[in-house]
Amino acid sequence: MAERQLTQIVGQLKSQSPSSQSYAGAASLLSKAKLLLLQLNALTPSPSTPQSLLTLARETYEQGALASIRAKNPDAFTRYVSQLSAFYELPASVLPPNPAEQSKVTGLYLLLLLTQGKYAEFHSELEGLAARATWSDIEGDRYLGYPIRLERWLMEGSYDRVWRAMKQGETPCEEYGVFSEILRSQIRNEIASSSERAYPSLPLSSTKSLLFLDSEGAVVEFARNRNWTIKDGQIIFPTAGAAGEAAGEEGGEQEQEVSQMVIENALGYARQLETIV
Amino acid sequence: MPGKTPDKEPVENGGYRGGKDIDMKDKDLKPKGKKSVKDGDDEMTVVVPPSKASKQATAPPPNDGDGDVVMDDVEKTAEGEVKVDPVVQAINDIKSNFALLDRAVALFDARFTLRALRSISSIRKRVTPEILAQVISETYTSSSTNSHIAKQLLLAVGRPSFPLGRQPGPEMEIDVEPKSSSKNTPKKESKEVIPEIDIFLGILSQVFLYDTKQFQLGFEFSQFLADRVQSLNRRTLDSLSAKVYFYYSLFSEQMAPLPPSPQSLIMSIRPTLLAALRTAVLRKDVDTQASVIVLLLRSYLLTSHIAQADLLVSHTQFPENAANNQVARFLYYLGRTRAIQLRYTEAHEHLTAATRKAPSSACALGFSQTATKLLLVVELLMGDIPDRATFRQPAMESTLHPYFLLVQAVRVGNLEDFETTIAEYADTFRRDGTYTLILRLRQNVIKTGIRMMSLSYSRISLRDICIRLHLGSEESAEYIVAKAIRDGVIEATLDRERGFMKSKEVGDVYATREPGEAFHDRIRACLALHDESVKAMRFPMNQHRLELKNAQEAREREREMAKEIQEGDLDEDDLGGDFEGM
Repeated sequence: MAERQLTQIVGQLKSQSPSSQSYAGAASLLSKAKLLLLQLNALTPSPSTPQSLLTLARETYEQGALASIRAKNPDAFTRYVSQLSAFYELPASVLPPNPAEQSKVTGLYLLLLLTQGKYAEFHSELEGLAARATWSDIEGDRYLGYPIRLERWLMEGSYDRVWRAMKQGETPCEEYGVFSEILRSQIRNEIASSSERAYPSLPLSSTKSLLFLDSEGAVVEFARNRNWTIKDGQIIFPTAGAAGEAAGEEGGEQEQEVSQMVIENALGYARQLETIV
Repeated sequence: MPGKTPDKEPVENGGYRGGKDIDMKDKDLKPKGKKSVKDGDDEMTVVVPPSKASKQATAPPPNDGDGDVVMDDVEKTAEGEVKVDPVVQAINDIKSNFALLDRAVALFDARFTLRALRSISSIRKRVTPEILAQVISETYTSSSTNSHIAKQLLLAVGRPSFPLGRQPGPEMEIDVEPKSSSKNTPKKESKEVIPEIDIFLGILSQVFLYDTKQFQLGFEFSQFLADRVQSLNRRTLDSLSAKVYFYYSLFSEQMAPLPPSPQSLIMSIRPTLLAALRTAVLRKDVDTQASVIVLLLRSYLLTSHIAQADLLVSHTQFPENAANNQVARFLYYLGRTRAIQLRYTEAHEHLTAATRKAPSSACALGFSQTATKLLLVVELLMGDIPDRATFRQPAMESTLHPYFLLVQAVRVGNLEDFETTIAEYADTFRRDGTYTLILRLRQNVIKTGIRMMSLSYSRISLRDICIRLHLGSEESAEYIVAKAIRDGVIEATLDRERGFMKSKEVGDVYATREPGEAFHDRIRACLALHDESVKAMRFPMNQHRLELKNAQEAREREREMAKEIQEGDLDEDDLGGDFEGM
């Protein structure tokens, strides 16, 4: 009885998902589904749970994860992913895997970790994927390869490739687009901070293309936010001059610090020597 | 694996035969229990036929140079009685360990137990079911309370019908050394067999089952043994129970489905191990604690549960005075976890310590190789170039070859070489568990490439950089160089309009604090070494009480003398130098 109801709800969730804008509707359906799962004692997999129910439970969580991504609710998404991980660990004989959905959700999770800057978790997760035999070629996978490539490009600094990958039509599915906005501003900040150090000055027009901004007005706006001075159509980065001045002061300070360190160390050695001898 | 026997011979004798054999050894040496291996390679052992026993016994198995009595005994008997039946010889060797265990219990000194454990590696090659069954039946009487244990032992060995309580055969009495016979025989009759001997025989059976690849039986038997160990609460059992858990988890790794799959049996024994860890911590049982933590870490890493491994490390405290080998293993696993989490500095620290702590003898070559490989990759990830000398060590040369090529590619900053090396040795790297780490190296190759160019040219166009590093486009090159400048890899500026990179003059390194820091690091390492060696010194237990007693006696003597002087019985001369010493 409850199982049939659950099948119905999952069906509803799936049918409405592609275009759905109403997270509220999905949320109410999901909470109903979770209550049913609780009644059926299938919230977490146990050895006695029948296969059909396991499949249903997994689908519920997968739909929930996708819905919460669309609603831009990372916390809910992370919750769903951790609930799903118990199902993904089941052997294929107990629960035949559904690679397409699984890699979609896992790929989204990787992307989420990437945008949150949790690189340690990102790599831990990746290591786990490599060990599991679900995918023969992780990088070749449409959904999983995407965050992996993005991470590599971000690390080496090929921002233009990241940018191109995030354009409409390049993402593996629409859910991945949610992260593009976050990544975009992240990249822009990265580029800005490296430009500050790398260029003494930049013309406005090239800054526009460098930062992937739409108009020169946006460049001016952005420059103001970062305290860059604009003179004769050139952006002059403040750090270059100021750093030179500060360096003189800092040099003296640093020297003092260094000599203090040397003295401290020498005293330490003397004390240790005394205890040894 | 009979085909491997010839290769094994020189290893057992501690000899070493050039670089080609290393891979072989890597595998052969694993089952010695002295090393921890990450990769789930099938671990193979060659059971040497008993006829070679006398020759094998002279091999020096202990890896730390503790002058130990047992081994000397074994060697002496082996030399003196070459003609003796190897079966009897093996039985005697096993039994001589009982005396050690007895002594360990009587004196409450774990060192005797360790000695007994160390002799396992020489005994294991000669063990046959008959030998074990005979020892068991001679040790236990059918009426004793722990005869059910004896039955289990016999079942494990595959001789369930052997009668208990057999008297040693006549030839035994002659061969047994006077020392051990006087110690063993009377005890056997008068006293119950101590649990230490139960467990010791259990471990021997485990080793035997492992060597003969009876994993299913071994696993079941280990379960029984682990239960038994858990039910006993004797401090003298500590190092023995650590071994029991070690083989327990080793068996579980060998059972299908093999580890990387999440259904492996190592998942199912985790609760047992965690329980054992809890008990060990409560009982301050350092040996089991260290051993179980290492086993758990290994188990987590085998199934790539990095987060769990990290949690385990953060929630437990690895015992400070654990055995050196366990520390080395622990550091290796810890370094591995940290490397995966991108905490390279910590990983580097742990792995360096692990390679240094690894025993230098040939018996743990596999461990040092595995640890060194990982260390090399971590060094590369940190942007350092490993020493050329590392690759020249004869024991490492051929296993490290793929890594050598990798280092070369990174050092020159040649992306093309780097990619081909990865493609060519992908399987090797995968097996070593370093593949995902190596993939992260790509950015380092690019960075080194840029640094090389910035050092050699005072001005270079972005187009040239792009061509030389095989980057996708000039745009990419520009972003990458800008990032390198920001990250402090190079000192340079970019000129966008004319599209080139201009290098800045490099400052004098000796004007910075860097030399001072390097010096400080080294001094600190030396001081730490000194402290540790002071801590590692061992003194016999209760020795100070003896000294106190002596002092007490001396004082009494002094008092007596003083009394006698007062009474005028003694001359000044009689006192001698006694007072000077006081």
